[in-house]
Parts: sequence; C-alpha cells; structure tokens
Amino acid sequence: MQNNDSCTYKEGPLPSCAPLAVPMVAAQMCAEPAYESGEALAKGTLFPGLDLPFMDYVANGPVEKTPETELMAIDFVCQELALYLDTHPGDQEAFKTWKSVNALAKEARKRYVEMCGPVMRTDTAKFDSWVWPEDPWPWNAGGKAGKK
Amino acid sequence: MFVYEKKLQYPVRIKNPNPAMAKYIITQYGGPDGELGASLRYLSQRYSMPYPEVKAILTDIGVEELGHLEMIGTIVHQLTRNMTVEQVEKAGFQDYFVDHTAGVYAQAAAGWPYDAASFAVKGDVIADLSEDMGADAATRKGQREEIRWDKLTFLLYLKMAILHAESPGGP
Repeated sequence: MQNNDSCTYKEGPLPSCAPLAVPMVAAQMCAEPAYESGEALAKGTLFPGLDLPFMDYVANGPVEKTPETELMAIDFVCQELALYLDTHPGDQEAFKTWKSVNALAKEARKRYVEMCGPVMRTDTAKFDSWVWPEDPWPWNAGGKAGKK
Repeated sequence: MFVYEKKLQYPVRIKNPNPAMAKYIITQYGGPDGELGASLRYLSQRYSMPYPEVKAILTDIGVEELGHLEMIGTIVHQLTRNMTVEQVEKAGFQDYFVDHTAGVYAQAAAGWPYDAASFAVKGDVIADLSEDMGADAATRKGQREEIRWDKLTFLLYLKMAILHAESPGGP
C-alpha cells in the first residue's frame, strides 16, 4: 500500500517525521529538596520529587515517635542519600549532607542501643553479658515477646 | 559479606490475627514479584555489571530488598500468630495451614513455591536494567491491588513505603 507519508529511506514503513523510539527514564538531578527524616520515613522517600501519589493514596504516616522509629527515620535518610550518591558519586554537596546525617545516625544509634539493646551484633560488646539473643526480635513487636 | 541489624526498616505492629489477609500478603514474600525475587534479582545481576555506579546501586538495593523481605515476613507472622481454628477456617487458610501452620513460607498467593523463573539475569547491562524497571512496575502493580482491598491504614502506609523505597532506587 502506498502511503505518501512513508519514509523513503530504505523504503521503510515509518513516516518521515517519526524518530526511532527511545525509551527513557527521567534522571534525578540533585538531592534537594528533601523531607525531614520523620516525614521521609512516613512517605517512604526522602525526595519530594519522587513522592508520587499512587491510586490517590498519599502516604503521610504519621509514624508514632519512639526511640526505635527515630532511629529508623534517620537510618532511612542515610539509605536514601546513599542510593542517590551511588549514581551521583560526584555530588559533593550531597556527600557533605550524607556525612552529617551519618554522624547524627551514629549518635541516635548509640542512644537507642543504651536504651533498648544491641542493633548490630557487635553492639553486644557494650553489655555485661551476651544479650544478643534476647527478645524482642524485630518481628515480635506488639506480641507477647514484644514488650519493651 | 552481610551484617544483620536487629530492627526493621519500617515499624510493623499488628495486634489481631487476620489469616485472610496473610493469604495474599504472602505473595510479596515469595511470589513472582515478591521481595525475595527482587533481592536475588539485584544481587545476582550485579556480578556482570561493568560500571562501578551500577555495581553499587544493585548491591545497596539488593540488600535493602532483604530488609523489605523481613518486613513482609513480619507482617505474615503477625497476621497469623495466635490465630484460632475458627479464624483459620473462616479465612479459608486451611490450604496454607496444613503445609506450614503458622510458619512463614516463600510462596505465591496461589501456593506456588518461590521460583527463580520469575526473574532474569542476562549478563547484559541494558537487558538487566530493563528487567529491573519492569519488575519494579510489577511489584508496584501487585502491591497496589493489595492496597485496594486493604482497610488497615498501617499496611497502606507500609506498602507505600515499600513502593517508594523501590522507585527512587530503581536504576
């Protein structure tokens, strides 16, 4: 079938104006702006630009504030920044932010361990005996073994 | 080498058993678009990646997915702990129960055991990264279906956390 719009180059079937399809994913350009840590944990992302409502559901938390969720929140910011830095290793500004958040996370972790027990097995060295196996384990929360 | 942290990435606290919900949440553990497959996909694809940035992101996401696996395992555990015989029967949970009782087993919602056929490792940057994006979309789709049935907001937020945690990391 003759089509006036058809591409003459090699007699292909494409219209002359059609470029080849190029699939593309928009790249995240920078690590700013960012949510505050508690909000980031509640929303599931540090970056407002990546906070896409899904089926009209908006994740707003709130996540109840406890020593545990505070540690989760600050660790989540560290993780999010780390993933960003993996693909943007040259972003010195974001690297500086990560370094300061990482220092805060270390402090938060120290406080949490003193209050609630070891997070990493090596934290057990700060205790007088091998308390690593003690309940609650992460999946015990809210149950009989989950008393804190 | 891996190091374990004795905490979840996001809090999960479910008070009352609900085996009916466990029946479909389990697919996010060991189903075709579940977290086990996601983790193995990323952690397996990284060996043949030629670029440092991609090796790093696949390693870090693959590890984070193991954290998501633990969250889903915790949800299933808490939905099935202390359930009564009546609750098992009413939920139609007997099929799972006869095989695994209240254990957490890596299977799809329809009972198929975890199967690595649900992901691909091609040793090719474009093929593998495209596979990752398709897989991410599938996970979001599956978790969205669960959100639609889900009347409990904590789980909704949790799901959103997982969805979003995955999307920014997606290569």
